[in-house]
Amino acid sequence: MKTRILSVMLILAIVLMAVPAVGAQGDETVIAWWTETGTVPTNIQELFIDPWNDAHPGYRLEITDQPDLSTILRTAIAAGEAPCILQTPGASYIAEFVKAGLVQPLDGYAEQWGWADRLLPWAYEVGFIGDTLYSVPLTYESMVLVYNKTVFEENGWTVPTNLEEFNALAEAAVAAGINPLAYGNVGWQPNNEHLVGIYLNNVAGPENVYAALIGEKPWTDPEFVEAMELLRTHIADNGWFSGSLENYFANGWNEFWAEVTSGDAAMMMIGTWAFYVTELFDQAGAEWDWAPLPIFNERAGEYNYELATGSTLSVNAACPDVDAAADVINYLLSDPVRALEMSATRQFGEYMVPLRYSEEDFPADTDERLIRFFSDFAEVTGEGRFGYTSWTF
Amino acid sequence: MTATALQQEAQRAKRRQQIGGWLFVAPVLLLNLIVVVIPSAIGLGMAFTDWSGVGSMNFIGLANFQRLFQDGVFFKALTHNLLWTAFFLIVPVALGLLGAYLLSGIKRGQMFFRVAYFIPYVIAAVVNTQLWRYLLNPRVGIGPALSQCCGIEFLNVPVFGSRDLALLGVAFVDMWHFWGFLLVLYLAAMSGVDIELYEVARLDGAGRWAQFRHVTLPSIRPTLVFTILMITIWSGLVFDYVFIITGGGPANASEVMGTLLYTTAFQRFEAGYAAAIGIFMALWVAIATGGFVLLRKLGWEV
Repeated sequence: MKTRILSVMLILAIVLMAVPAVGAQGDETVIAWWTETGTVPTNIQELFIDPWNDAHPGYRLEITDQPDLSTILRTAIAAGEAPCILQTPGASYIAEFVKAGLVQPLDGYAEQWGWADRLLPWAYEVGFIGDTLYSVPLTYESMVLVYNKTVFEENGWTVPTNLEEFNALAEAAVAAGINPLAYGNVGWQPNNEHLVGIYLNNVAGPENVYAALIGEKPWTDPEFVEAMELLRTHIADNGWFSGSLENYFANGWNEFWAEVTSGDAAMMMIGTWAFYVTELFDQAGAEWDWAPLPIFNERAGEYNYELATGSTLSVNAACPDVDAAADVINYLLSDPVRALEMSATRQFGEYMVPLRYSEEDFPADTDERLIRFFSDFAEVTGEGRFGYTSWTF
Repeated sequence: MTATALQQEAQRAKRRQQIGGWLFVAPVLLLNLIVVVIPSAIGLGMAFTDWSGVGSMNFIGLANFQRLFQDGVFFKALTHNLLWTAFFLIVPVALGLLGAYLLSGIKRGQMFFRVAYFIPYVIAAVVNTQLWRYLLNPRVGIGPALSQCCGIEFLNVPVFGSRDLALLGVAFVDMWHFWGFLLVLYLAAMSGVDIELYEVARLDGAGRWAQFRHVTLPSIRPTLVFTILMITIWSGLVFDYVFIITGGGPANASEVMGTLLYTTAFQRFEAGYAAAIGIFMALWVAIATGGFVLLRKLGWEV
């Protein structure tokens, strides 16, 4: 008898455990958006989520930060459990989802709301696969030279603009017992590609890189070989990145930041996402500044900025209300002042939506160095002086 | 009640008991079916497809396995798994046995050492790895510190950034957290050895080494063989320490099958090929377990 009662209780418990928790969402349609941990603007709730929810009764926008977002998203989308808004590390990531028919085309929404006029032209174009728009960038980036200004002033150094000046500065730094550059790839191996992109653009020149990207030139052409040999010389032979190639391979984000802020290294070739942690210089009692990357060969022309998107947003075709999900993206693109107020909480290193900003759109207390970058970036890239990255598209 | 009726009643009772037993086992069987058998079958099937991880999959026969046998990185990873196994079967096992044997002779303070050696095992991998990444940091770690203060240079090398040392460095960190676990297991096994055996051995003139070799080792053989089996299996599946510390780098210098599978499936959109790598990892486990079963069939006390 006891056995029978126990068996019944056990089966009952299993059945109860198997019953899904239904009805928790009530009558609201949830528009879910998973974003990357550590990048979310601290004021996103009051500036973005609450106003959107207030303007859309019956809907609830939920933005959740996720560590290792791209892996989690991929698993979720394969299981049919992905959020309505798909945030991926770049437009090329979304291509696999597009091939599988999992992404909603955005052309109609773009036309309806005039996204082409709001976004920077290049940023709008990267979202197209064939003739169809599938994504818009959440943030845009470029590569710059971030340097320890205190170290530069103490040693009487100036920012290098060409290979000769760069070599002279690096040798002077080594003589002073300072690593010319800090960097490493632990925790994010694609950091290697940051350097590859910089050397390709600044040695071979953006035009050659573009020709190679569209298949008109082989990557084995002499200018590309020269670019890689120069990188090898700097990183492996000279040990200018954190002291040696081995050190570079042993350094992660925390280590190379500690190196440059403490003055053990003078500079970093890094993306503008670095802006959101420049407070580390303040904590170390050092001053920082940035400069365009030096041009290593005359064929690369005047200095330029690489065009890169940090993350892209798309709409999950399986979303219960794709129109509402597209409306969230439109809301993000509709107000440059609000977008900048949000990005300001991340020092414009994250959530820097590629809209057509003017200087007046920036918050009044914005750091002069940051305004200088975005103004110069707009001017220089507007003149057609831009380079290409292998790690973003 | 007749004898036949009694017999029938006994049979019914036996059947009820059997059904009850099956009902108790059913949840575990069901769980195993859901989380082990079905995913394994799906994984096996995936290995014969070109599935990217999302969308549709196409049957491509043995193409993934043909590619696997021509993939230099896979063979590098497989070699690293073999080296890892050899390292773990020698260093932590030897340290565990030695530590346990020495501790078994201590009456006072044994618990302190047991706890001290066991603590690294219960610390999360991510904490252990960060600790050692800082200790072996080429700029602020113990290497440069010893070099500056005392002129000791042998540790002043970027262990995790060197292609020659990365695998050994990661294995050392993993071993550091693991060997205390073996020590506690071996110590527990040694405490069960009949003390009279040692007395007899001493009377026969056996020294400490001879006692260890002829009394301790044979007496703890089931535990020893079990740990060897588990180490062999775990070494084929190793992932966390390698992934956190080096990610398999630099230039695949510390790549193991687990990290290769992960990057193939989750960074390169090649879930089908990753499944083929997974089949090899499963094969590794099957061979190790098969060896264990064979030893039992041969009459080994394991």
